[in-house]
Amino acid sequence: MSTAVQTASAEVPVGYESVAPPSGKLGVWWFLASEIMVFGGFIGSYVLLRVAHGGWPDQASHVNWRLGAINTLVLVTSSLTMILALNAVRIERRERAARFLLLTVLLGFTFLGVKSIEYTRELSEGFTPSSGMFWSFYYIMTGLHGVHVLGGIVLNAILYIAAVRGTLWSGNRRARVEFAGLYWHFVDVVWIFLFPLLYLA
Amino acid sequence: MKTNEPLGLTAESLDRSSVIVWMWLVGLLGAGMMVFMLPIPRIPTLLLIFGIAGFKATLVIRDYMHLKGEKLMIYAIALTPLLLAIALALVLIPDIVFHH
Repeated sequence: MSTAVQTASAEVPVGYESVAPPSGKLGVWWFLASEIMVFGGFIGSYVLLRVAHGGWPDQASHVNWRLGAINTLVLVTSSLTMILALNAVRIERRERAARFLLLTVLLGFTFLGVKSIEYTRELSEGFTPSSGMFWSFYYIMTGLHGVHVLGGIVLNAILYIAAVRGTLWSGNRRARVEFAGLYWHFVDVVWIFLFPLLYLA
Repeated sequence: MKTNEPLGLTAESLDRSSVIVWMWLVGLLGAGMMVFMLPIPRIPTLLLIFGIAGFKATLVIRDYMHLKGEKLMIYAIALTPLLLAIALALVLIPDIVFHH
């Protein structure tokens, strides 16, 4: 192939253009794939052991499903604000993007706040991680999820600061909002399954 | 990421579909809670609750994570661990569920 024939955009010869997704997005999806295995392993073990032990109805009835439902609403709404931030980034509405990133961070803190109220209540009633199989799974799965929410808050806070300072808008940096969004929505999806598993089933 | 959107595209027009998906998610959350509170047998309740959860997750993955517009490679990366996790649970069923 003649090297004189070039694409209009760059130095990539015709026929050698990549059809693969961008490496950044691939990296995020690989990371999410490993997370699927982590949470999938926990959820699978929980379901199997719960079925094998008659459902632990006495232990599972003590969780506060109303607070769990409120947290589901909070996290689903934070997914909306995250996608609204990405939409704003796509059309260079900088202030709007920063505002929605900040809202996402605040909703993340709200989720953790409600969760800490739940933990406080449950621990004060004597339900600790060693109170039974259900409570072991409950604390480890919601705790692990909470750590992921905290990680997402940190990511979004960094993006918010970058958006306010104006450093988010140079080069490919705005793609970071899309990557952080993928992670945040994944955390939301995990909670969508944890809520019925731990609070309603 | 696309940054050069077609002329005339506003944040509002981009946002509309995202808000509609959110309304679906909130509606489905309400439906799940109603199923939970209604006096119906346990097995149908569980099937409905987890069916609704699956639908909600599909909406988030398809519309917010944009999987509906992704390449096959992304599908492969996402689905492989999911299938492995399901397979892990299935192979453990005889040992855990039937031996306890």
